Amino acid sequence: MPRLPALAVSRRALLRGAAATAAVAASLAAVPPAFAADKLTVLLDWFVNPDHAPLVVAAQQGFFADEGLDVELVPPSDPAAPPRLVAAGQADVAVTYQPSLYEQVAAEMPLARFGTLVETPLNTVIVLADGPVKTLADLKGRTIGFSVAGFEDVLLSAMLRSAGLTPADVKVINVNFALSSSVMTGAVDAVVGGYRNFELTQMALEGKPGRAFFPEEHGVPAYDELILVARRDRLDDPRLPRFLAAVERAALWITNNPEAGWKSFVAANPSLDDELNARAWKDTLPRFAKRPAALDRGRYERFATFLTEAGLIKSLPPITDYAVELR
Amino acid sequence: MSDPRPLQASLKPRASPPGRRAPSPAGAVRALAAGRVARAVLVAALVVGGWQAVVLVAAPPPYILPGPGRVAAALVGNARFLAENALVTTLEIGLGLVLGVGLGVATAVAMAIAPAARRLLLPGIVVVQSLPVFALAPLLVLWLGFGLASKVVMASLVIFFPVASALNDGLGRTDPALLDLARLAGASRGTTLAIIRFPAALPDLVSGLRVAAAIAPIGAVIGEWVGAAAGLGFVMLHANARMQTDLMFAALAVLAVIAVALRAAIDRLGRRLVPWVEG
Repeated sequence: MPRLPALAVSRRALLRGAAATAAVAASLAAVPPAFAADKLTVLLDWFVNPDHAPLVVAAQQGFFADEGLDVELVPPSDPAAPPRLVAAGQADVAVTYQPSLYEQVAAEMPLARFGTLVETPLNTVIVLADGPVKTLADLKGRTIGFSVAGFEDVLLSAMLRSAGLTPADVKVINVNFALSSSVMTGAVDAVVGGYRNFELTQMALEGKPGRAFFPEEHGVPAYDELILVARRDRLDDPRLPRFLAAVERAALWITNNPEAGWKSFVAANPSLDDELNARAWKDTLPRFAKRPAALDRGRYERFATFLTEAGLIKSLPPITDYAVELR
Repeated sequence: MSDPRPLQASLKPRASPPGRRAPSPAGAVRALAAGRVARAVLVAALVVGGWQAVVLVAAPPPYILPGPGRVAAALVGNARFLAENALVTTLEIGLGLVLGVGLGVATAVAMAIAPAARRLLLPGIVVVQSLPVFALAPLLVLWLGFGLASKVVMASLVIFFPVASALNDGLGRTDPALLDLARLAGASRGTTLAIIRFPAALPDLVSGLRVAAAIAPIGAVIGEWVGAAAGLGFVMLHANARMQTDLMFAALAVLAVIAVALRAAIDRLGRRLVPWVEG
């Protein structure tokens, strides 16, 4: 039998070639899904701070990447802008406040809440601990500073009412960014708008500890301080459930590994590695929503009624229009 | 003595031909004023028309750019509220102008009298002007409190530089011939300044005042943004946070009217001060 013409390839070369092909195939399979990752722009409500921990950690630990998402976290220059930008289609997700959601909806912004980041109120009325104000009733005839978030006067009125006072019994001044400093220097007797996990710590660190009155303990229905909103007509976007899955994973991971979580947070934001933020981190841990997608419709309805009765909002569409639970 | 009557007769206005009345001075002023008002109304109508056109064509959402109709509704619906706050801001602007112009004029005159003072003051003035107002405003509020004082100082800081700079330039640019004349007549520095250099620099002062009038509202509003309980800047900030964009634009419209009225008032003052300058 005539021998077949010998191929110009030796067995060794064949083996080498097969190995090379296998290596190329393996490296192609090992390419991270970044090429296929979907971009998502998230506008924060304020500069990056420990309140945003699940988002920052999800990005830092690759939880978003595991869901095939390339998430960009953008702090705003104007805190009132993010919901507007999302409503106008300039970004995908905004972090905002549950009380603001009703104002946005009443202003005909086509937004809907689809997730929660911080599920307890953070707002407080803060006075100096060694000052003359021991109870809310002591605020009679005093000055209260507020920063502009759009609903603080409603919060304050309800709290004053619970102490038997009316808004006419106090003088209210907009102190904008100088919340802690204005109460510490005594320029005002109290401030509303400071967060229990931030401004209180700031004052303690400055040697002028404050005393806090919590809205939900004084006549204001409980609400979610930080929520996630998107455009109503984009709620069926497949990126959103994946986004929430990564946020949930991060919230649980931080709960289980608080130290590692803090290290991850400062790795992404080295400028926040200080005493104030470290303390804020510990104080905020219990407040992150461990079930970000879950919606307590009754709670949202109660707050809607509260705002309508206070006269801040004239009328609202049904709750299902603007607060949803994604599946 | 010649009879004065023919002279008087020649000075009397001639009887106009029948069917045509010569315009009296009062009538001329009325016609001029009516023309100016008509022009202002026309410009306003064009602005509103252009705005409505943008809203119709680009169809921006009302929470980004409301149409003139919505803003007018917000204006009418909150008329009293806006008027109260407009009064506060106008007061801040007025007091700021008085303080800023006073300081500016005093500084420029000081620099003109004593060249040593000029070398000392000029760099300091330039530095103060270049500091971003946003950085200074919180400091002012800290030192002066949340009342009127911080806003007035903020506005006067913003007004001070154009006035000081313009007057300083004017005082430095006096006609050398006039200065020679003063020197030959033995006038002191002070007298030269008072009767030659200052009047000659008045047109420059008026230019400085025009710029100051344009930016005075900005100074007052920034002061309000940083800490206030009233004023149009406060209203705008609040409305913005409450997503009430139509109210924010209504406050903006009122501020624009104040700014235009201020400019018109300064123009009038300018014509009085320097009637020999055209325009």
